[in-house]
Amino acid sequence: MANPIKPDRSVITTCAYCGVGCGFKAETYQGRVVRMIPWKEGKANHGHSCVKGRFAFDYYQHPDRVRTPLIRRSIEEPWREVGWDEAIRHAASELRRIQAKYGKKSVGAVSSSRCTNEEIFLVQKLARAVLGNNNIDNCARICHSPTQFGLSATVGWGAASQHFDSILQADVIMVVGANPTEGHPVFGSLIKRRVRQGATLIVIDPRHTETVDSAHCRATVHLALRPGTNVAVLDSIAHVIVREGLFNERFVRDRCEWDEFEGWSALVSSDRYAPERIGPEAGIAAEDIRRAARLYAGGPNSAIYYGLGVTEHSQGSTGVMCLGNLALACGMLGREGVGVNPLRGQGNVQGGSCLGSWPHVFSGYRFVTDPDVRGSFERDWGVTLDDEPGLRLPNMFDAALTGHFRGMYIMGEDPVQSDPNQQHVIAAMRNMECVVLQDLFLNETSRYAHVFLPGSSSLEKEGTFTSAERRVNRVRKVVEPLAGHQDWEIVVKLMNALGYPAQYAHAGEILDEIARLSPAYKGLSFALLDRIGSAQWPCDENAPEGTEVLHKVSFPRANGRGTFMLTEYVPTVERISDRYPLLLTTGRILSQYNVGTQTRRTANSLWHPEDLLEIHSEDAKSRGIADGELVTVTSKFGSTRLRAKFSQRVNPGIVYTTFHHAQSKANVLTSDLSDWATNCPEYKVTAVEVARVAAPQERAAACRNETAAVEEATA
Amino acid sequence: MWSELRELRDGIDLGTPPRDGVNVSLTIDGVPVTVPSGSSVMLAAAVAGKAVPKLCATDTLEAFGSCRVCLVEVEGRRGYPASCTTLVEDGMVVRTDSEKLSALRRGVLELYLSDFPAEDVEGGWSEFHETLRQCGVSSHPYGEGETHLHSPVDVSNPYFLFDPAKCIVCSRCVRACEEIQGTFALTVDGRGFESRIVAGQDQPFFESECVSCGACVQACPSQALIEKSLFEGGYRHG
Repeated sequence: MANPIKPDRSVITTCAYCGVGCGFKAETYQGRVVRMIPWKEGKANHGHSCVKGRFAFDYYQHPDRVRTPLIRRSIEEPWREVGWDEAIRHAASELRRIQAKYGKKSVGAVSSSRCTNEEIFLVQKLARAVLGNNNIDNCARICHSPTQFGLSATVGWGAASQHFDSILQADVIMVVGANPTEGHPVFGSLIKRRVRQGATLIVIDPRHTETVDSAHCRATVHLALRPGTNVAVLDSIAHVIVREGLFNERFVRDRCEWDEFEGWSALVSSDRYAPERIGPEAGIAAEDIRRAARLYAGGPNSAIYYGLGVTEHSQGSTGVMCLGNLALACGMLGREGVGVNPLRGQGNVQGGSCLGSWPHVFSGYRFVTDPDVRGSFERDWGVTLDDEPGLRLPNMFDAALTGHFRGMYIMGEDPVQSDPNQQHVIAAMRNMECVVLQDLFLNETSRYAHVFLPGSSSLEKEGTFTSAERRVNRVRKVVEPLAGHQDWEIVVKLMNALGYPAQYAHAGEILDEIARLSPAYKGLSFALLDRIGSAQWPCDENAPEGTEVLHKVSFPRANGRGTFMLTEYVPTVERISDRYPLLLTTGRILSQYNVGTQTRRTANSLWHPEDLLEIHSEDAKSRGIADGELVTVTSKFGSTRLRAKFSQRVNPGIVYTTFHHAQSKANVLTSDLSDWATNCPEYKVTAVEVARVAAPQERAAACRNETAAVEEATA
Repeated sequence: MWSELRELRDGIDLGTPPRDGVNVSLTIDGVPVTVPSGSSVMLAAAVAGKAVPKLCATDTLEAFGSCRVCLVEVEGRRGYPASCTTLVEDGMVVRTDSEKLSALRRGVLELYLSDFPAEDVEGGWSEFHETLRQCGVSSHPYGEGETHLHSPVDVSNPYFLFDPAKCIVCSRCVRACEEIQGTFALTVDGRGFESRIVAGQDQPFFESECVSCGACVQACPSQALIEKSLFEGGYRHG
């Protein structure tokens, strides 16, 4: 008999992977998850899925899962298994000891965009209300913090203006620094569907990505710009729009301040942003910049989707502002089929951003320095809160090196692998007296941790994720937590052990608290989500079931108007030189997810067993490198080894790799440069040199042969 | 605009994609029903609670009209049009059930069954099995002949397998790969009895341009494409 087993139970939940936020029916058989079926009513996926969400779920019961809390006195000692009470007690007493010795601000917390909204909210509450400082950050720092800053500055909210289905009404789709068919595959399929229906596709990306050209879906214009020149190219597009009078004067007059527009247009219409100037600098044809500008401005509906290729630069925030400016100037906001939309890498980057996991703002992006806002939290939480913004993640590491920062609670994050300039992070970690790490698996960071609290996968807990389209989706418990507790329960235990009485009967009560204290989430509750499936914030009395398209009437700024920000191009100081003549940029591949913690523990690794260095054959041949050969990649900051892969996807002068495997150590190479406004690291531009690994031995062998030949000749 | 995505409902298969058009009223087996113009008779029947048996149609894919199971009678029209490819019209009078229709469906399903593993007819829970039950068909009158029952199973993908013995060549997988995923990795190769589902350039799934999104597995009505995780102790074939 070849009939399959029939699952006996199914639970509707949300995918643990990227920011698309696909709905799934998790099917179980005898208490085990046996398959994930894409949910037809999922608002982002409508019954579609990708290889990660659909199939790569088995990591949840991988033998590597830590099932018992671990502690040790120093990082040189082996881990010791202990009970939950002892681990929590130990973590709490260590954090308090450090605060007593080095001051209240010598500790902090970091949460992750893989955690639920409820967990993220609790961790920042732990930092602010329990540890008594604002040293709280989250991993959006290293991916989309410029989105928060750049979009808030121009259109008022650091979030996608649309819902995903809106793209089905777009005539022109402009994808900037993103590769959705690999990184956000289900949305990538929606883009392709729309392009097959006749929409025009513009791609701005140094690499000839899968999104640029696939079966029955080809970009009309691909600007394969040199990494680091985003702002120049976007300003040049603006230049064409202003000089050729392609902007939407009516929209600008109605919805923005005209004099601000004039200031901006004076800047971008300057000769220095002419395509004929910028084209050669960015390595692209001036005419292609003009075509892109005319297509975008022509619409009638043009939509921008962008990713980390915009944000992870020293001018990341400026790049985001450029996109906001373009949409405002051309009137591409406030209706279906248009907009500016960040594609978020992790399932809950938007939630991480919304819910106050930042050192300077509470949930809803309200400043800790604002006494009224602070007062509302103080009344709800029953404590006095610090009015001074706390440390950002990179500043926590800097302060650790100077000895001012000694303890850290990290939930669901692996900064040693994922943060820039790895040597610096490791040195900082080593300088700390207590690192409490809560995760599914031991990882690169756990090497430097003193307490390990085994967390729960998203199949094992209740809560919500906020996807890239601002959609709050329900995460439901499918199986019991393998280590005994849902992550939010562990945070509550830690809060209690630190002397703060916190009590929640279930995760829904945390969402109620979020709703009470965050205007955009005001109308959200488990009851609402269980009834209507999901809702996009803002969700309040004016929009009881959420808001699909933002900015329809006004912008959420004090005067209700959009602002043009001045976006002068300032080239990054990370430049090629004789010593490091190639530019390295990074990206994602379909089968793996971020640092691979989950997907590397599934059969997905069959597709991508290692990170490869894509290199143009010209660059490879001039260095004597063969296809498939192991090479050394060296930057000013460090060196690593990767296998070379000849590729037409990158132009000569550019090399590219993915960052899914710890042993690739891509972040040994990356610089400590970061976005001027938000400290988001400049992952996308690193000057490197590539060399054969085999070279020394072969040279030695050649040398021996030569000597032998000489000896033979002289014998 | 997007009703074909947004009007989909879990646990309900309307047979063809929902549409946005103006209202059209018709009767199905005497039941009056109003649906948007551009809808199929199959969709109207499902809305009227008179779901027509089907195999090659599903509401996430455009109608294809290949399986010949969803035939109906329309007053004033000759023959037995496929309800999936016939669009609704105002005042249309449709019959989904008659002796003749039952006989036609039985004939088609028996032919499908004659090339399906006999031991897997009982106890199966695929859409194909549901349709067999709906039409009261559980066996076929044909003798032994050439079949696909011993074609090799493609187990190259780590997550799903393809067993040609259970494939009814309805093309739902091919269309899902094109319409939903947009990868165009699958095709139907050959004609008539020779036709079969092929990945890439007649490659194993894993070696083809398949991106393993699972859309084909989701679309397959006969569990020819199916998750390996549903077979404890491996897949036994034939």
